[in-house]
Amino acid sequence: MTVDLLVIGAGLSGLMAAVSAANHGLRVKVIAKGMGALHWSAGTVDVLGYLPERASEPVDAPLARLSQLATTRPDHPYVRLGSKMLDTALQRFADLCNDLELPYAGSSRSGENLSLPSAIGAARPVYFAPSAQLSGDLSRTEPMLIVGFSGLRDFYPTLIAENLSKLGHSARAAFLPIQLISDRHDFNTIQLARALDNEKCVQRLAAGLRQVLESGERVGLPAILGLENHTAALAYLQKQVNAPIFEIPTLPPSVPGIRLTTALRRYLEQKGVRVEIGMEAIDFSVRQSPIPNPQSLTSVSTATSARPLEHRARHILLASGGLLGGGFDSDANGRVWETIFDLPLTTPQVRSDWFRPKFLDPAGQPVFQGGIAVNRHFQPVSDSGQPLFDNLWVCGGALAGTDPIRERSLEGVAISTAIAASQQIFSVPTQTT
Amino acid sequence: MFTESWLSVGPSLDECIKCNICTSYCPVSAVTDRFPGPKYAGPQAQRFRENGQVQTPDDSVDYCSGCRVCNEVCPTGVKIAEMNARARAQIASDKGIPIRNRLLGRNELLGKVGSIAPSLANFGLHNPASRVLAEKVVGIAREAPLPRWSRDGTFGAWMKRTANRRLKSEKKVVYFHGCATMYYEPYIGRAAVAVLEHNGYEVIVPSQNCCGLPMLSNGEFGAARHYHENNIRKLGDYVDAGYDIVGTSTSCTLTLKEEAPDLLDMHEGGAHELKMAVWDIFEWLRERLELGELSIDFARLDMVLPYHAPCQGRAHRVGKPALQIMALIPELDVRESRARCCGIAGTYGYKVEKYQIAMDVGEELISYVREQGARVEMTACDSETCRWQLEHGSGHPSRHPIEILAAAYGLYDLEHRLLI
Repeated sequence: MTVDLLVIGAGLSGLMAAVSAANHGLRVKVIAKGMGALHWSAGTVDVLGYLPERASEPVDAPLARLSQLATTRPDHPYVRLGSKMLDTALQRFADLCNDLELPYAGSSRSGENLSLPSAIGAARPVYFAPSAQLSGDLSRTEPMLIVGFSGLRDFYPTLIAENLSKLGHSARAAFLPIQLISDRHDFNTIQLARALDNEKCVQRLAAGLRQVLESGERVGLPAILGLENHTAALAYLQKQVNAPIFEIPTLPPSVPGIRLTTALRRYLEQKGVRVEIGMEAIDFSVRQSPIPNPQSLTSVSTATSARPLEHRARHILLASGGLLGGGFDSDANGRVWETIFDLPLTTPQVRSDWFRPKFLDPAGQPVFQGGIAVNRHFQPVSDSGQPLFDNLWVCGGALAGTDPIRERSLEGVAISTAIAASQQIFSVPTQTT
Repeated sequence: MFTESWLSVGPSLDECIKCNICTSYCPVSAVTDRFPGPKYAGPQAQRFRENGQVQTPDDSVDYCSGCRVCNEVCPTGVKIAEMNARARAQIASDKGIPIRNRLLGRNELLGKVGSIAPSLANFGLHNPASRVLAEKVVGIAREAPLPRWSRDGTFGAWMKRTANRRLKSEKKVVYFHGCATMYYEPYIGRAAVAVLEHNGYEVIVPSQNCCGLPMLSNGEFGAARHYHENNIRKLGDYVDAGYDIVGTSTSCTLTLKEEAPDLLDMHEGGAHELKMAVWDIFEWLRERLELGELSIDFARLDMVLPYHAPCQGRAHRVGKPALQIMALIPELDVRESRARCCGIAGTYGYKVEKYQIAMDVGEELISYVREQGARVEMTACDSETCRWQLEHGSGHPSRHPIEILAAAYGLYDLEHRLLI
């Protein structure tokens, strides 16, 4: 069967593009080598936290700062999209999450970044956060009680409280016995979250919290408040404890990221979109044509236990990420390449050019700023700016012109370019093949 | 000392970025402290397990069920399940193999012996007293869903008996039945033959051996190598003649394609050619469908059917072809399970110390079946031990999708498992 759109990559960008295209009536399939990078994320939507070369000063309102971004990063996808399109895309994400019963919201001062505590108690500029993280907003004044569990490897309440105090926020740490949640000797945040899907377990946690909580405090917990029954668990706990509760993302694996992945995948399943995990794209085919450029892709092949499996598609969207997401690979000599189509990259190809001398250079590191150069339709282009294939599109972390970790723009880029690229695809007139 | 090289799985170790996605999805470490999770028992411990090392791998790796969910979700392509299988082989090589594990590895021998007098064998194995004895003496859990020997003869005997009624055709395909179809569930083979013949193919069933998977799972690599060599020899002529080899057991076909060559470092002398000739039967039928060659004259099957794609089936990385084809059957309401694993993982859940773990892992699937409501009369799964576990846990009979397909062609009675 030939699908209208084959999406490669099951991170936020790939899944959002699939949602957008499926809602437009396209037959869509998603393939991915493994689970996507959302599993490593904080589950928030970071749009623009820092402008290039201004590392010490967080951005107050991302959409209002695009003109400043344009002066240093003229090729940034946001600059290409403009603030209106970016705003629309983000709003569509928030609306979708509402429908998925995993609501996300931003600052009460519309358009401004929230400031949320990170896993080590630093302030993180975030545009949209899941409901469970909102009460952690550092612009609020209630003192914070950061509660951890003895033996939980991936969450450090004392460190978080100390760092928040140094930033001028009132915060203290407390520990509860892990036995409130689990009788396991060895556990991770996922197992704890599954245990808290059970109301009885939430009740025990509430009883424990009431023991340590002082009046007027809000409670910061590791992000473990349920996987399947998260929304109910959060509401129930707030009610039982009678104090604002917020989750702080832990070290990976990320429960908030898994909740979002699962919600998006289930939505896609309901729309008849298959999301196939464990399928690594290794090859592609092009249509034989007397006109050499641009070429048309006919299929992508994935590795199986024996012969490659061919996925035929009218359009192909590459959402496999960059170096972090696995869309790019590199060797010890400094060569960096895109793994499926070997698309041209703007990334420096000599090892000594990857990094500036200073690790924390405010200008960032060149190796993380490179990516696939695209035209305004999100099609990858040759060095001379010509599209390489007439039915290949790129979105998300693979795009050139961003430095997503440093800018704190990973999710904003993923969502906005996914929606923009999918719109380009369904605006292509249907060909008769 | 364990002597197999780590070549085919070793380099993937360096791809591990310690992201813990494998641990998040591991169905075993989710229910027990005995297995610390794929990242710890796999790539992390692997750093200390090079050839020539003094220490035997930590016993916790024996609690990996080998379901391969870790490989499926790993974003960087680390061959975690293979690392664990090799570590188990090293334990077996250093410490010896318990008699129980030797027994469980010998599907084919047990099948043959029991088939001499199946009623007697069934009574001998399945009466409560012998199950208690088997648990106490050998360590096979008394409640574990062991199969029963076929009382109306083996699949091989049926093929011989019906030889003059079998379709002759220019189009030919080789059938790899595996031990379970041969000795316990010959009706799966009969359904497969019926489906293949209905599509115009003459079915060739050459002499064949156990694929060796039970031995690979229990760390008996030497014996597994012997079996794989035999299969290469016995199937080689058909491979050379260009025939496709289809199998109904997703784990047997996975072993012939990938597990045996990778774990045993057997890529030459016909191993690669065999790998490339083997298909899961639904993978092969889907190929016929894509080419417009599959007969789709299905009768309606008005039922709700929870379907679980087994771990070893998903490990083929060909999607869920049985699901795709069953979706074409009118009125059949196939419900796709999202469960990671049924828990049994071949012989894992038979072992007394692992039985409860297997049941706890399987709860995800069993509760899924329960949630599908009162209209559910049976379930479907491509893998034999998973079907037995599904029946054990849910109380509903379980069928192979090939039986469902045979029934939709009007060739098969699903309830009594008989060709019509």
